[in-house]
Amino acid sequence: MNKKIIELKNITKTFEHHQVLKGIDLTIYENEFLTLLGPSGCGKTTILRIIGGFEEADSGSVIFEGTDMSKLPPYKREVNTVFQKYALFPFMSVFENVAFGLSLKKMDKKVIQEKVEHMLHLVGLRGFEKRNINQLSGGQQQRVAIARALVNEPKVLLLDEPLGALDAKLRKEMQVELKKIQKEVGITFIFVTHDQEEALSMSDTVVVMNEGIIQQIGSPIDIYNEPKNRFVAQFIGESNIVPAIMKEDFLVSFDDQDFKCVDHGFLSNEDVEVVLRPEDLILSKPEYGQLTGTVTSITFKGVHYEIIVNSHHRDYKVQTTHYYEVGTEVGMSVIPDNIHVMHKMKEA
Amino acid sequence: MKHFKHMTGPYILWSAAFIVIPFLLIILYAFTDGGLSLMDASFSLDSFQEIIDPLYVTVFSRSFQVGLITTALCFLLGYPMAYMITKFDEKVQPILILFTTIPMWINLLLRTYAWISILSDNGIFNMLLGKLGLAPVSIMYTGISVNIGLVCNFLPFMILPIYTSLSKMDPALLEAAYDLGANKLQAFTRVVFKYSLPGVLNGVILTFLMAISAFVIPKLLGGGQYTLLGNLIENQFISVGNWNFGSAISFILAVVILFTISFLKRIDPDDED
Repeated sequence: MNKKIIELKNITKTFEHHQVLKGIDLTIYENEFLTLLGPSGCGKTTILRIIGGFEEADSGSVIFEGTDMSKLPPYKREVNTVFQKYALFPFMSVFENVAFGLSLKKMDKKVIQEKVEHMLHLVGLRGFEKRNINQLSGGQQQRVAIARALVNEPKVLLLDEPLGALDAKLRKEMQVELKKIQKEVGITFIFVTHDQEEALSMSDTVVVMNEGIIQQIGSPIDIYNEPKNRFVAQFIGESNIVPAIMKEDFLVSFDDQDFKCVDHGFLSNEDVEVVLRPEDLILSKPEYGQLTGTVTSITFKGVHYEIIVNSHHRDYKVQTTHYYEVGTEVGMSVIPDNIHVMHKMKEA
Repeated sequence: MKHFKHMTGPYILWSAAFIVIPFLLIILYAFTDGGLSLMDASFSLDSFQEIIDPLYVTVFSRSFQVGLITTALCFLLGYPMAYMITKFDEKVQPILILFTTIPMWINLLLRTYAWISILSDNGIFNMLLGKLGLAPVSIMYTGISVNIGLVCNFLPFMILPIYTSLSKMDPALLEAAYDLGANKLQAFTRVVFKYSLPGVLNGVILTFLMAISAFVIPKLLGGGQYTLLGNLIENQFISVGNWNFGSAISFILAVVILFTISFLKRIDPDDED
């Protein structure tokens, strides 16, 4: 693994009697694309603002390359931010916006010129130097904001829901672009979003948060395939979450059926929850299925149909490319690899 | 939208009757020599020649000076005030703005008379100086008393436009400036002040125009000893009855004002298009 660049140690923060962060421990590595993912109000933006220096944590510390920078003002930190609504300076041209940080450092005019040109080239805005900010589209403003931050050669770039204001198509394009830029400049990106698809497709590491607590840290594949709890399973992708009993290692029971699985290390007969992704449930004729049920609804989703199958115990959401008439009796099976067993979440 | 155009009718009539026609009359009087009667008037530049008299040149330069000082003082007092108001809670801000405009609810004459009783030789100010064991000062009927009166009167016209443009600023701009390496002073000069520049220009134009053409305040607080352009014009029309000369001065003042506005507007970054 790469060198540690930022460590958050037991960070807490309270705004007006509401505890937004409840003890955050997080290690961020060099050259990593890390995403803070969670519903609005989960504290992800607050973490970003604490790293940027715009908020001070109530307790805990922010370690940057081994030294505590909790008390440093923003302008002394080697991080730069791409703000949610870009926060470009409206009275400056594209060039002046990007050159802002460099001109504060009293850099030579020629060097500034070179660096700004290079950066505008990187974000695909060559020839836009003299434009006014309000003459640019949302996507172009976004690129200026990225260039303005990156031109200062920060060690870490903070991005606060930067794609939120763009339309769906542009957002997809910028996702690819951002990932490319990150590879090219080779620095750490800390990205805040509530869009799980965005998080999965761009990140090296995803940090799932809810109510001021980190729920799970892992690679996008881990987070999707091995959600640690009900919240993560529900937040990332679609899922059927079924109460179950772990009879013994590699054997779990739900809906009066025993299923082979790959999970182990639970107490025997422990109450657990099982995650079944809709795309992992295989439909068949009733006699071939591990479970049986009746199709109660079918919705066309483009690539696949989404079907609700009512077994005798519950409704299952299933994705399939075949069409089933409502009322059809079907069988459902799932291979052991696709059964994911989690500890039961404590009721709040 | 088209049928709304009719609604500008009354305004066009009003400005034709009370702004355009009077202004044309002023031009007419300024360039003729027939006195009050326009019947036997003929083209003449006599009135403009009269202005070159050192006596009147002094009044012009004094008015300019008063205009500049009043504007500068209003800016130096008004900007920090407007800036501080934007730092308060959004619910408190309108109340504070209300406070800055409260003096405007009181009649101008009353306010000015109040200043006389404060600043006169036996006034409150000198009484306080006496209590502190200091020698009394003579402020009334000088440039100082006139400037004090003008600043107090026009300060709201500086604060309001500056406050309006500052309060429109997204706080994230300030954070962006810090983020990019600006310390507090740099963030202010390079971002906040520049952002508020349109408001500053409007405030400057407003106060300068009002100060350079003021006549009630200089008349009361300056006595006869401190004549400004406004007083000169007033005298020519009301006491002396030389409408031609009064019109010529008004005309020059209008031209000066127009040039000032167009010069200041050129600095305004919002007016580029």
